[in-house]
Amino acid sequence: MNLMAVVDASVKKEGLQDLTMQRTVSSVPFAGRYRLIDFPLSNLVNSGVNTVGVFPTYPFASLLDHIGVGKSWDLDRRKNGLFFLPVTQRDGGISSVGAFGALEEHIQFFTKSIQPHAVVINSFIVSQLDFKDMLDQHIQSGADITEAVSGGVSLKTYILSKDLLIDLIRTHRDKKVVSVEDVVNLKKSPYKFNEYEYEGYFAVIDSVQSYFQASLALLDEENRKQLFLADRPIYTKVKDEPPTRYVSGCHVERALVANGSTIMGQVADSIISRAVYIKKSARVEKCIIMQKCVIEENCDLSYVIADKDVYIGEGVVLHGTAEQPIVLRKGEKVTKEDMR
Amino acid sequence: MMNDKVVAMLLAGGQGSRLKSLTYTIAKPALPFGGKYRIIDFPLSNCTNSGIETVGVLTQYQPHVLHEYIGLGTPWDLDRHNGGVTMLPPYAEIDGIKWYAGTASAIYQNISFLQSCDPEYVLILSGDHIYKMDYELLVDYHKEHEADVTISVLEVPWEEASRFGVINVNDEMDVLEFDEKPENPKSNLASMGVYVFTWEKLKEYLETDNVDESSSHDFGKDILPSMLQKGEKMVAYPFKGYWKDVGTVESLWEANMDLLDLNSGLNLHDPGWRIFSSNPQLPPQVITGTGNVQGSMVNEGCVISGEVLKSVIFQNVMVEEGASVSESVIMSGVTIGKNVKLHRAIVPPRLDVPEGFEVSNQKDEVVLLTQEQLDEWKERGGK
Repeated sequence: MNLMAVVDASVKKEGLQDLTMQRTVSSVPFAGRYRLIDFPLSNLVNSGVNTVGVFPTYPFASLLDHIGVGKSWDLDRRKNGLFFLPVTQRDGGISSVGAFGALEEHIQFFTKSIQPHAVVINSFIVSQLDFKDMLDQHIQSGADITEAVSGGVSLKTYILSKDLLIDLIRTHRDKKVVSVEDVVNLKKSPYKFNEYEYEGYFAVIDSVQSYFQASLALLDEENRKQLFLADRPIYTKVKDEPPTRYVSGCHVERALVANGSTIMGQVADSIISRAVYIKKSARVEKCIIMQKCVIEENCDLSYVIADKDVYIGEGVVLHGTAEQPIVLRKGEKVTKEDMR
Repeated sequence: MMNDKVVAMLLAGGQGSRLKSLTYTIAKPALPFGGKYRIIDFPLSNCTNSGIETVGVLTQYQPHVLHEYIGLGTPWDLDRHNGGVTMLPPYAEIDGIKWYAGTASAIYQNISFLQSCDPEYVLILSGDHIYKMDYELLVDYHKEHEADVTISVLEVPWEEASRFGVINVNDEMDVLEFDEKPENPKSNLASMGVYVFTWEKLKEYLETDNVDESSSHDFGKDILPSMLQKGEKMVAYPFKGYWKDVGTVESLWEANMDLLDLNSGLNLHDPGWRIFSSNPQLPPQVITGTGNVQGSMVNEGCVISGEVLKSVIFQNVMVEEGASVSESVIMSGVTIGKNVKLHRAIVPPRLDVPEGFEVSNQKDEVVLLTQEQLDEWKERGGK
């Protein structure tokens, strides 16, 4: 494969602040058992790309823990493979994709690699983009830069020659452009642009609202069929969780459930991650419950996003709205006393 | 962890002929169990959780699936520079191929492997038992008793004792007598087929046994009785907890049902004693608007639109609308068509159960579905 990849995991999204206090946007949990970065990484390996640089900023501990040496994506290789390339807060952490200052900190990644083309991608858009198809179209078009779009929406994914990318990185200060996204959006530009039209499932995750909507949209079979393809699987770090237990007396409908959970109460229209405990007579409706949350008896929750390790004490009642779901931060404990 | 070197030898060559079509193409230890596991995950995970880092897996009957499944041993942290897992199938020598004639001959033929490991103690395990056991405690017990061999035993109901190899002991737990499936058992302590030997002693007896023409080269029938006769120090280690030898279709079904009983003693949800397994990359399971799941275990990749009661559902199973599955074990990749009714059924991997199929087992016996059965049903026009 003559394509190398830059996964920009440093982009910050103000709207996702509640979910990114202790993690990057790229490591936000999604669809019960994944992190957002699983989608671009899986798309890359499913497209045959095996030289991948991941560029995160702080706090990247959870991202590093998740991707490790890239084993889950078969990117733990002697030749090529995964490169974890953290960047300083000064250069990364801006809101546009492919910040040149950040890439410059690891310029050797580009100068040492042998692939003639580079794809610069983000980790806040979930899709099934085929980079091989995109590259073929890019080469055919004769353009300098190709941008992936879908129905007029930019997927903030760009293919360009590696030489052009290196040149942009080295000269961006003189040219007063900060990122690849910035270059593409310039009105006046010496470059020839091309668009690659993607048809398929995608979701832009840039706020709590869009996160909530995109998550619950996966309860729609059509969306799942487009995102979870048997021949292009989404890989993630696997856990040795046992199958989920549905205890007699529970009631579960329209739910996406990961392994290792125990469900005794009522669940409807919700996403339940790994190792969640939902006790008797608890009601969970239109919620996203992340890994290892415990929901005690007689709770009544709707439109709630509970981040990892949240504990919800007996009888707690929380009702958010579709526009403003209630977000419980990682590790938060909520009891009936707190509610008064 | 363990100070003296312990090597585990895991006997995984068994056929399990009473499991019928389930073991035509795979060895019994490779049998799917509990929604995502294979039986051999249990002894292998016990090794990992007990700090045993050198494991030999002895295969013979239908070994391919097992060899591929275990691979380098990565899921059990057994991909090590020192030790780790070694697959030990029978092999050819200058004077011919030597098949494993019995449990003891399997170990004897791998004496050179054991010598290269240079252990203090050798743990003999069976690849087809379902249980969670800390082997470190067993080895400690063996050391404390300064035994030559320690046999792990389990208290079984008296009425069932005659189905087992029964061990008679004195108050100090010294083994006095072996009774292989006795009509009138004198004790209800059953051997679990789990032994710790002091390596030097084991080697000595294996070598003697190998040249004994009258021997069947079996631990229970030959090695242990002969050690007892010669007065070697043999003690019984009382194991407490869930243990099941899955030998028949019925016992496989029972063991799966035990998982659904929160009080059975076999808790897979214990983070302190994980059962490790290979983890396929599949999306989460989906319970749709018409699905109803009660008292069951469901693995990833499933889509449940029908009724599932008290059942164990492996990965990638589709249960379509109007179907009803109760007290059943549905293995991976199975599709249960619309309006199918299954009660007390075991459905082997990748079977496609056609719309309207019903299992008629009024007497509550367990039915193992086969492709032939489904084909015949279709030929009869779905009756």
